[in-house]
Amino acid sequence: MKEQVKETIQYLKKKGVSYADIRRTQRLSQNIKVKNGNVEALSQNEDAGFGVRVLYNGVWGFAASSILTPAEFKRIANLALEIAKASAITKKNEVILAENEVYKDKYVSKFRIDPFAVPVNQKLDLLIRSTEILRKHPKIKVAEASMNFFKTEKIFANTEGSLIEQMIVESGAGAMAVAVEGTDAQWRNYPNSHGGNLGTMGYEFVEELKLLDNMERVRTEAIALLSAEPCPSLETTVIISSEQMALQVHESCGHPIELDRVLGTEISLAGGSFMTLDKLRKLRYGSSKVNITADATVEGALGTFGYDDEGVKAQRTDIIKDGLFVGYLTSRETAPVLGQKSNGTMRADGWNRIPLIRMTNINLEPGDANLEDLIADTKDGILLGSNKSWSIDDKRLNFQFGLEIAWEIKDGRLTGKVYKNPIYTGITPEFWNKCDAVCNRNYWKVWGVPNCGKGEPIQTMHVAHGTSPARFHKVQVGVSK
Amino acid sequence: MIGKDKIFSLISPIIKKSAADQTEALLINGSGGVSRYANSTIHQNMFETNSKVYFRVSLGKKIGVASCNSLTKESLNSALNKAIEIAKNQKDNPLFTGLPKKQAYEKVKTYNKKTANFTPQQRAKEIKKTFDKAAKYNFDVAGAFSTGDAEIAVLNSNGVACYQPTSSAGINIIVMSDTSSGYADGLSRNVDEIEVEKLAEVAIQKCLDSRNPQGLEPGEYDVVLEPTAVAALLEWMDYIGFGAKSFQEGTSFLSGRIGQKIMDEKVTFYDDGNDDKSMAFPFDFEGVPKKKVNLVEKGVAKGVVYDSLLANHDHSQSTGHALTPDSPDRALALNLFLKNGDSNVKKMIESTERGILVTRFHYINGFLDTNNALLTGMTRDGTFYIENGKVKQGIKNLRFTESMLRAFSNVVQLGKDRKLVASWSTDVGCISTPAVLIKNFRFTGKTEF
Repeated sequence: MKEQVKETIQYLKKKGVSYADIRRTQRLSQNIKVKNGNVEALSQNEDAGFGVRVLYNGVWGFAASSILTPAEFKRIANLALEIAKASAITKKNEVILAENEVYKDKYVSKFRIDPFAVPVNQKLDLLIRSTEILRKHPKIKVAEASMNFFKTEKIFANTEGSLIEQMIVESGAGAMAVAVEGTDAQWRNYPNSHGGNLGTMGYEFVEELKLLDNMERVRTEAIALLSAEPCPSLETTVIISSEQMALQVHESCGHPIELDRVLGTEISLAGGSFMTLDKLRKLRYGSSKVNITADATVEGALGTFGYDDEGVKAQRTDIIKDGLFVGYLTSRETAPVLGQKSNGTMRADGWNRIPLIRMTNINLEPGDANLEDLIADTKDGILLGSNKSWSIDDKRLNFQFGLEIAWEIKDGRLTGKVYKNPIYTGITPEFWNKCDAVCNRNYWKVWGVPNCGKGEPIQTMHVAHGTSPARFHKVQVGVSK
Repeated sequence: MIGKDKIFSLISPIIKKSAADQTEALLINGSGGVSRYANSTIHQNMFETNSKVYFRVSLGKKIGVASCNSLTKESLNSALNKAIEIAKNQKDNPLFTGLPKKQAYEKVKTYNKKTANFTPQQRAKEIKKTFDKAAKYNFDVAGAFSTGDAEIAVLNSNGVACYQPTSSAGINIIVMSDTSSGYADGLSRNVDEIEVEKLAEVAIQKCLDSRNPQGLEPGEYDVVLEPTAVAALLEWMDYIGFGAKSFQEGTSFLSGRIGQKIMDEKVTFYDDGNDDKSMAFPFDFEGVPKKKVNLVEKGVAKGVVYDSLLANHDHSQSTGHALTPDSPDRALALNLFLKNGDSNVKKMIESTERGILVTRFHYINGFLDTNNALLTGMTRDGTFYIENGKVKQGIKNLRFTESMLRAFSNVVQLGKDRKLVASWSTDVGCISTPAVLIKNFRFTGKTEF
């Protein structure tokens, strides 16, 4: 298949393209879900194909196919050229790509246990036992536990001479209890909402989650939420959990720093960004406690890879430095706007999609606080648990998050009082400037987000966020009147 | 397109030779293109051809599912054998009573040759017309125009053998000035019914009318929701409440409320996959014919949609709403309708003393409190203040946080004309809805533009 890719690149060169690349991708995935002790889903999928991207007379064309014959490679290459010619009907400017090194390399993500070699029975046993613990209360109507595994193999070649092979293995698991009473349903997840946690690791990642050790707490909290008071509506101090900070970073920083979005090319679906070019190195995005990086090299994180889908090497970039906005996520097409080279964030969610600027691991760097000290230092406040809902405007300013659970803080301690249906809301830079503490590396965890959506047709990307709990003052909790 | 005969002759022998007790194959094949544009130029232009075949097999009550996207006999047999291997390692599923049996399907027209063969050049020429119109006002245009075809076949060892070709064309257009934006969208099985220039004019007018928007404090306002805005609410209501899974789990806003009046009597939601005024599709992904299902009738909660396994849980029959075998949601209302009334947007505005006209919503989320269908989201691309029966001015965007049980209890008028709005998959369905006038809709936040 590598030879076919190389031959097609040569063919496109002869056709006079100014640039072309081909990605041949093969992905194996497995999904297992157990609900109330029964196996709800157990499926395996194999997906393979190739995509050809050409730059011809300064405009793009892209075509892709799941048919892996030599004739189809040629047909799709010609089609990509034809599509570029159609793009030229509305051409305004010439696409110019930032320079990039030529790589001939192989990258394999680090993993210890191949998740596809672990017997299905072993996986089912862990999931069934997890749901059995969750179900030990009559008000738990749904006890669900799941695992997801992916093995992606890519061959990338371009007309500049790069030839890169990658294999990336990803694993994840999680569990959820839904407690129901009358028309009230409350749920708790472990280790995080929306399917648990995932990493670029093998089955060892699942083992390290220690699902069984946490099921009793999850069940107890879900039950407690049924009789909890609704979260009051007020302006107060909040300490946001590490897992919710991941989504806060994702929505209010990760997306608005995508330079394609800033330049307007994602406006039709996902929207634009308030972090416009004039704000670079001028916008006081957050307080001096806020440091955010984009780092595709964090070992084991879900947004980690060797090279992006333009053949740019994975790297680490400062985004927010001591509160100041200093960097974007860029591509070879967009980086020249800043007079820079790409920082390697172009990824497609499959062979049949055009690469877009995507988050890698967008991390809130650890601060110097202890969580216990922060709570002790908070007279009145709320500790916010893991995410339940998320929404933000199309320039990423007004956000609202819903949480599964919140805990009351009074006179420097957690009182034990639990709130249901908590919500908090704010305006992005105002909110981050209210941050007065970020917890230290002991509390820092990396959370995989496997469902980041962008593009048309929609592309679902695997990204991650390393975060610690952080404290913010004067935050609107509940819905403002 | 592969065609019915070739698909059946490829898949049938594999099913016949299967070592499983029962075997089902779902084949989805399609080709299509999407031209995306921004800053009044096409910046992403793509074509894709892809297939997917799911094998679902049973060994007694043990079920295995495996899929592949290659149509070689070797790959198909490999996927089938993987499904059997998975089934062997499975536990019994007590709800499984066998794959669906052979049934008759409604004949609906779902394919248009011109749409299927629409070229990137043709899309580009249509798109350029919008750029030219907007350029007269120095406005920029963004959006996406997609055209393509698909064919879906379900075959199983109980005699199910159904096939349907489809086509679809969809466009969205955002026109932008320095201070405002306007939006319009279109969807059809027939590309000739997408009136690109008219849609561009609508988006341009909204952009013109909403220039220099004023801030408005959040609070309760009467709202005129255009169909695209209503569809965004309905899409989330479907996701959290109209499928049997959430209903049985107790998280649906219909759970425990069947037979109760939960909305205004003017409100009727139903799903009808055979109504070709919408993006009809006659069977579901396990080959069960689509049945019309009343979800909410004259404000009274009536029911939810089922696949065969979820139906067995409730000792009921599948309504023909199964999703693909790997879908966690199992069954959703993919051809959702809100019954129309006799009004229109103009009349709704004229009868509003103080309110807001919403073109569309952005980034709705419905997980806040699913039992009360509490949704939140932002307005975008054309939000206007109405005063004394007239649109007074464009306003900056607002956040709403509102229970749909409350909102649809406060419906005052429903439009006569319904619009098709793209939803989960335009191959097999969409949302058909009129505009709606709702009293006292809750806006809870504001933004800076």
